[in-house]
Amino acid sequence: MKKTLYAVLAAVLIAALCLTVSCSKEKKQELVIYTWEAMFPDEVLEDFTKETGIDVVYSTFDTNETMLEKLSKADGGTYDLVIGDDYIIDAAIKRGLAQKLDKSKISDFGNINPLFQSHYYDPNNEYTVPYGAGIPVIVYDPEKVDWKITGYNDLWDPRLKDSVSITANYRVINGITLLSMGKSLNENDVDVIKQAGEKLLALAPNIRLIQDDDAHLALLNGEASVAFLYTSQVTTVLQSNPNLKVVFPSEGLGIGIMDFFIPSKAPNSEAAHKFLEYFLRPEVSAKCFDYLGYYCTTKAADSLVNPDLVVPEFFDGEIIQNVSLEADEQYNKNWIEFKSACD
Amino acid sequence: MIRKKRNPYSLALIPLYVMTVFLIIGPLLYMLLLSFATNLGSGAFSWKLTLENYRKIGDPVYLDTFWKSIKLAFLSTVLITLIGYPFGYWMSRLSKKGKQIMLLLIMIPFGVNSLIRLYGIIILLQSKGILNGVLIGLHLIKEPLKMLYSYPAVLVGMVYALLPFMVLSIYSSAEKVDWTLVEAARDLGATKTRAFATIVLPLTAPGVFSGVVLSFVPTMGLFFIADILGGNKIVLVGSLIQDQMTRGGNWPFSAAIAVILTIITSVLLLSYSHISRLVGQSGEGSGLI
Repeated sequence: MKKTLYAVLAAVLIAALCLTVSCSKEKKQELVIYTWEAMFPDEVLEDFTKETGIDVVYSTFDTNETMLEKLSKADGGTYDLVIGDDYIIDAAIKRGLAQKLDKSKISDFGNINPLFQSHYYDPNNEYTVPYGAGIPVIVYDPEKVDWKITGYNDLWDPRLKDSVSITANYRVINGITLLSMGKSLNENDVDVIKQAGEKLLALAPNIRLIQDDDAHLALLNGEASVAFLYTSQVTTVLQSNPNLKVVFPSEGLGIGIMDFFIPSKAPNSEAAHKFLEYFLRPEVSAKCFDYLGYYCTTKAADSLVNPDLVVPEFFDGEIIQNVSLEADEQYNKNWIEFKSACD
Repeated sequence: MIRKKRNPYSLALIPLYVMTVFLIIGPLLYMLLLSFATNLGSGAFSWKLTLENYRKIGDPVYLDTFWKSIKLAFLSTVLITLIGYPFGYWMSRLSKKGKQIMLLLIMIPFGVNSLIRLYGIIILLQSKGILNGVLIGLHLIKEPLKMLYSYPAVLVGMVYALLPFMVLSIYSSAEKVDWTLVEAARDLGATKTRAFATIVLPLTAPGVFSGVVLSFVPTMGLFFIADILGGNKIVLVGSLIQDQMTRGGNWPFSAAIAVILTIITSVLLLSYSHISRLVGQSGEGSGLI
């Protein structure tokens, strides 16, 4: 009895082995994409496979830091295409974990919106293709504000007394104050930062609340008439109240960008290039950004994508970077002084 | 035949010692050490020892935060005592069944996460909220009042969150009062007020003191109340520590603030035990320390 059982088991095993061997003999091409969960609509990945015959293997991480660690353990191999945030890509490129793109294989490279290119982590656009941007903007309720808000400086207007809701990131709020003064978001000069602190104090009477999680709800429940919000919050409030007005501040934007890059020893960099070429087609990009809900970084897709996700032309953008310790300390001090002045 | 007496429970105490060392003394020492480390920014630090973090607390901005926290703690403790004393006193005079029901009613909200209860207060106070709706409905106001995200809103939140501790400690000491003493005083011609002032008040004093400690100390650290109901505009020591720990990325500095806060709290607790020893000879309040 036992013998027959073993025989059957052995037969099954052998059959299974044969199957796997025959499968691998077919030698299907693979593209390993490594990013957060839910970054692409299924349709986009399926269409790519249909078109090229290349299977997409979707591998995920929780945080940028995990990605960098894994990539560096794999010595720039294993993965063919990675999407991460600006600052971590800076680290990846510096550690030699990314390879230069072969632009001859990406004919639509010009479709990218230049606002999201040439930033500090890739000044000559040799390594990255942007995949969506987060941009904090001003949103206001035209029923309560009967004049036109165009930039950060309008937040200081006395007519907005006790009615502005802002996010709680000290660098972002210091940053927009600097932008309103015509300075850089990443100012390192302590004296200039001090001046920004003084200007920030003058904003205090207009502040209704300072919060990261709920800053946007204040616009809906009537607590505030103007808010300075992150992209995901803007999307949320517009869904509840499409009449709200979104303002891209004229003084310049603070942006966070997600980018594709190809790891230095990607097993199939050929397929990765093909995917980038495919993604940069306007209709594919539009599908991706509609799904993702971040600002569209492919200029050629602007006319196809949800209009709420299009950044109007002629804007400057800057990314928040680490500053010197002294500067950072002054930013912190500005922030506490500002918050204390608000009550 | 004298045998050395050994506490038969001494082995059972080992987990307690282990926990105290690893979970209380260990972290406290680490915090103390960390407060002398050198900040490198973004959460990084080096073990080069310095007094810089303590010097920074001397900056008026940060001193002001301490001062404001103490003021808020003082104000909310006064309010909590004023509301909590009559409440606890009244509870102790109820029938046995009445006491059980009241205790149950006080404990039930603890089953709900405190954040959710705070969001409940938001629903009450917000512009389009219930309270404004009622006031407008009664034609008392025309425009909704801006009640949320203000100092009074934080005060309401603090009183709401900490009142049960005061009520319960007053209740527990008022319950032990020997009421025959009050009757005797009344028989001997004391007025109600006199009997209360000379007998009930001194006997319940330990309860008041423990209630005061239980509400004063947490107020300094309950940063999420200031965050949610105060819209982050009222900066407490607790919010400062949290801010420096997370967004500010300055761990040594937040450790230094935490050390100072711990010292203030310890001084309060020590003076409490001192006072309660002086006042409450019955030692009822000493259960706290």
